[in-house]
Amino acid sequence: MSMPTMKLLRTAALGGVLALGLSACGETSQVPVYKDGKYSGKADTRPWESAEFKGDKAAWEAALKNRARGQNEYNRGD
Amino acid sequence: MLTKKSSAATGSARRLRGSAARALGQTMDRRAFLKRSGLGVGAGAIATQLPYNLIGAAEAAAPGVSRGEGKADVRRTVCTHCSVGCATDAIVRNGVWVHQEPVFDSPINLGAHCAKGASLREHGHGEHRLKYPMKLVDGKYQKISWEQALNEVGDRLLKIREESGPDAVYWIGSSKHSNEQAYLLRKFVSFWGTNNCDHQARICHSTTVAGVANTWGYGAMTNSYNDMQFSKAALYIGSNAAEAHPVSMLHMLHAKENGCKMIVVDPRFTRTAAKADQYVRIRSGTDIPFIWGMLYHIFKNGWEDQKYIDDRVFGLEKVKEEIMTWTPERVQEVTGIPEEQVFKVAQTLAMNRPSTVVWCMGQTQHTVGNANVRAMCILQLVLGNVGVSGGGTNIFRGHDNVQGATDVGPNPDSLPGYYGLAAGSWKHWCRVWGVDYEWVKSRYASEALMTKSGITVSRWIDGVTENKELIDQPSNLRAVVYWGHAPNSQTRGAEMVEAMKQLDTLVVIDPYPSATASMAAMVRKDGVYLLPACTQFETTGSATASNRSIQWREKVIEPLFESKPDHTIMYAFAKKFGWGDELVKNIKLEKDAQGWDEPNIEDILREINRGTWTIGYSGQSPERLKLHMQNMHTFDVKTLKAAGGPCDGEYFGLPWPCYGNPEMKHPGTPNLYDTSKHVMDGGGNFRANFGVEKDGVSLLAAEGSASKGADLQMGYPEFDHTLLKKLGWWDELTDAEKAEAEGKNWKTDLSGGIIRVAMKNHGCHPFGNARARALVWNFPDPVPLHREPIYSPRPDLVAKYPTHDDKAKFWRLPTLYKSLQEKVKDISRDYPLIMTSGRLVEYEGGGEETRSNPWLAELQQEMFAEVNPKDANDAGFRNGDYIWVESPTKAKLKVRAQVTQRVAPGTVFLPFHFSGWWQGQDMLKYYPEGAAPIVRGEAVNTATTYGYDPVTMMQETKTTLCRVSKA
Amino acid sequence: MGRMKFLCDAERCIECNGCVTACKNEHEVPWGVNRRRVVTMNDGVPGERSISVACMHCSDAPCMAVCPTNCFYKTEEGVVLHDKDQCIGCGYCFYACPFGAPQFPNGPAAFGARGKMDKCTFCAGGPEETGSQAEYEKYGSNRLAQGKLPLCAEMCSTKALLAGDANVVADIFRERVLRRGGGTDAWGWQTAYGGGEQKREQKREREGQK
Ligand code: SF4
Ligand code: SF4
Ligand code: SF4
Repeated sequence: MSMPTMKLLRTAALGGVLALGLSACGETSQVPVYKDGKYSGKADTRPWESAEFKGDKAAWEAALKNRARGQNEYNRGD
Repeated sequence: MLTKKSSAATGSARRLRGSAARALGQTMDRRAFLKRSGLGVGAGAIATQLPYNLIGAAEAAAPGVSRGEGKADVRRTVCTHCSVGCATDAIVRNGVWVHQEPVFDSPINLGAHCAKGASLREHGHGEHRLKYPMKLVDGKYQKISWEQALNEVGDRLLKIREESGPDAVYWIGSSKHSNEQAYLLRKFVSFWGTNNCDHQARICHSTTVAGVANTWGYGAMTNSYNDMQFSKAALYIGSNAAEAHPVSMLHMLHAKENGCKMIVVDPRFTRTAAKADQYVRIRSGTDIPFIWGMLYHIFKNGWEDQKYIDDRVFGLEKVKEEIMTWTPERVQEVTGIPEEQVFKVAQTLAMNRPSTVVWCMGQTQHTVGNANVRAMCILQLVLGNVGVSGGGTNIFRGHDNVQGATDVGPNPDSLPGYYGLAAGSWKHWCRVWGVDYEWVKSRYASEALMTKSGITVSRWIDGVTENKELIDQPSNLRAVVYWGHAPNSQTRGAEMVEAMKQLDTLVVIDPYPSATASMAAMVRKDGVYLLPACTQFETTGSATASNRSIQWREKVIEPLFESKPDHTIMYAFAKKFGWGDELVKNIKLEKDAQGWDEPNIEDILREINRGTWTIGYSGQSPERLKLHMQNMHTFDVKTLKAAGGPCDGEYFGLPWPCYGNPEMKHPGTPNLYDTSKHVMDGGGNFRANFGVEKDGVSLLAAEGSASKGADLQMGYPEFDHTLLKKLGWWDELTDAEKAEAEGKNWKTDLSGGIIRVAMKNHGCHPFGNARARALVWNFPDPVPLHREPIYSPRPDLVAKYPTHDDKAKFWRLPTLYKSLQEKVKDISRDYPLIMTSGRLVEYEGGGEETRSNPWLAELQQEMFAEVNPKDANDAGFRNGDYIWVESPTKAKLKVRAQVTQRVAPGTVFLPFHFSGWWQGQDMLKYYPEGAAPIVRGEAVNTATTYGYDPVTMMQETKTTLCRVSKA
Repeated sequence: MGRMKFLCDAERCIECNGCVTACKNEHEVPWGVNRRRVVTMNDGVPGERSISVACMHCSDAPCMAVCPTNCFYKTEEGVVLHDKDQCIGCGYCFYACPFGAPQFPNGPAAFGARGKMDKCTFCAGGPEETGSQAEYEKYGSNRLAQGKLPLCAEMCSTKALLAGDANVVADIFRERVLRRGGGTDAWGWQTAYGGGEQKREQKREREGQK
């Protein structure tokens, strides 16, 4: 499935959630809440939904863990 | 306009400073410079002039391709901005360099970069580069074709050669060339018929190379940045690694975290000093008294390693006599350092072994440079720290390939591999090159000039302007070719423009030739040519990092604009000069996209391999180097040794010496002279290069002090065919090897057989096993002596510690010492402040390349001088004012004052990366159009004074005098 | 994966500006706009320390609270992002931010003429299609979506600047502090993440591990 299509589908599925979220917010905060890859009517997909990871959150987390290792030279010996 | 770190000085930055101070529980005085750069100035005004998205410019090269499309290629390359050698991955899409990714696998930098390395991708934009050949016509640079450029330049040089001989042309090569290019240039210059060539090493570490090699064999960093993780104490003297070699600090701070004591000795409280456990402020140019002061305490307390000295050191007694005269009082009188500080440093180094030392240009760029570095070697020998992991002399080189260009490049006193210029050396290389020795000889004006060292880059201006009668060659210099070298890195800039004026022809071959171009256009109407060369990202080749590891760069992008790789330009000129075929006898030619002939880089490296036995550049075949680049993750970060994988047992980058031919599989040498390892595992010992005895004392190492597993456990001389026969090992050579090795030694046997038998079969070192020389009898001061700089701030000490006698013919030129020092003895009355110079992290060398890079230029927008508050108050100016810095040459620099405690009262520090202002004037109008760097400023070397090391002609830049006043 | 954070180890930072330049490089940030800066205290005297500062992606981000157009939002990973299409360049966020993170392409010009605010995105792009040209032009690269961490931290010359999952970053830092027996100050953490949130997070982690 191509990315844009996936995105469309998700947008449709999440529409209801977003509406709920906004109405709840109105009471407590002026800041719109980012929910599930959408912001203020625009798509901002979650990082693991990218072309590289295609929604595989575990793979994305593993990739990030691996990159984090690069920031610690103690991983390459004392 | 803005000064430094521009837009940080907004309201929020002030708040930020406030909160940072609270967080760290300290009062905070952020460099007041930032405050001055002020609200409301700057950022926006400049921002609007530049396109928001510079990628647009890069994409113009591949129109119609959007960012996300097209296959992304990863090309592994190495930063070209310093000798640390940080690897980086370039992501290239449709020929455009779109991203730069860290190479976490690299054992050298583990993904890390300083500002310069993090900005490499800007080379893919290159908007401020020279885009096509240009010629100075009536004071303005005009575009010309390559064909016209090659013809006109070629004809002019040939005419000069005809009229005044080959030595009338001076070739300044580059430490930013790859090994292959640097090597090819030395060969090129030889075929032209002169030794008048040089490169940056002259003015960065020539004193180190000479001093250290004469002490124990090779003039290079003994250990590695990585090996410093094993150090228990480290002394940095005359090195500001945090700015000059930032990623080396990754290893040092790691070591420090694990208990290493870090000491910084410097006239200036540098950013490196800010990380140190001990900081010692020294008077510029008094290193030897300080080192002797430490050794005084070491001997007094019996901290010397007596067994090591007995077994492996020659001539220390003589040196010790001098050392013991340096009582604490005397040391303090000269250096300004109190006894307890000297004692503490000595104690720290002695009690925390292995301890290492680091030095850079703070030690080398002095009229006593060669003696400074030998004193450091002696310190390490006395402590038994050489040939030891965690110890050694960690000499940080400057440019990314200055080590390689020193090893195999355009040096005026040697053919590649430190073979020298003797007839035998020429014959060796002629065999490698496949050319007739007699033919090469015929290219020279005479055999005498063929074996005589050429003029150095530090003095080319005197080669032009000196009285012809006093020059030790038939003619003055009439043409200079600047092939990848900045002019503002040489001292006496005010005199340089005079020399430029007098030249017949000036040729600049460089991606960023503009500093030279603008200086020349200021004083000339014609006779200047600018030829666009590529950067190392537009070609391929190898570079030698400071630790002697050799890394291979893949080509990232195609040459931008009309630029050509240096080796292609070399071949084009060789053809024009009529010896193109000779230059590439063993080297394939390939056609590039425009139909030019490009010599094959790998073939050049193979030729280097076939000839450079002395320093073991023979085992690093292109195939082996590439394998290392692709298997970086298999190498240990501390030892640099691969465990398993295709490079099992080898050291990263096959650090030279990597002896024998590639098939012998020598693993490279991580730490020089390390007897705890077998020679086939990178072990070694000191070199027998100075005979076997001196005045009845043996120079060979004592019994039992050979490298691990050697069949000869005593000291022994270097290997040649007779030694092999005497030992009864001759028959271990194959018949083919015998035929080649007969009458040869290990350095000239092109079969590599002598080396193979000595090392592989018998665990012996081909260069023998000798003692390190504390006493270098062939140098002007066999025992390093303190001598005041020529422009000394202490006339009272000049009488006590005078400089050398004048020299009549020294590197072909008369050279002044005492007569000048006498003349200017009291000049400190008028010029009372020490003027010294150094690096900034954002810029490299002369700075033209890095100041043309907007990401870096934004961070350092103005030339400045650091002045102590006391001196500023005395002179009546404040932080941020424009001031004049005037030297005894009468040259005046207009710079911003940065009033700071970083420097002591009496010292003025100036960074050396600027050019493009001349004594208060912006030189913009003299630049070729579109090729001026973004940031311009006064070059410190416009004002620097006379003064040279008596061995290598290193220039004195670190200690001269000046006065300051409000502009 | 938990909450994303920055940590700058002042004992290691050598003020080399590698991080600042990496950011410029990765996002082609224009001249005059600095998503990241290095600040030095006690410059030139003993005790000199530097830290690299950008948007800290605070727990209770003051910028979010003051923005009149509600253009900010916080992702599940704790990254504070904003929508440039909604930004009116009023500059309130700039005054509210304790770290001086928000930047304006026209500098601190007259009200309304500053242009769209720009700041560190934790290399996570913004509200446009991930990896699109539009996202890149407005917000820069989206490294997080490529499974990579902020380039400033990944390229830091001394690994002083750390970025990533709060616990991973804290672990790396803790090991160093233990080894050197001091230099414990994780600069700005209190301001950015508060004591409370840290504890909450630790608790969440502990529970998550059960
Ligand atoms: S300049 Fe030196 S330290 Fe900085 S990235 Fe390049 S090689 Fe590394
Ligand atoms: S996280 Fe990315 S956007 Fe933020 S400062 Fe670092 S490089 Fe720049
Ligand atoms: S790259 Fe690292 S060491 Fe350099 S200034 Fe940034 S945080 Fe500090």
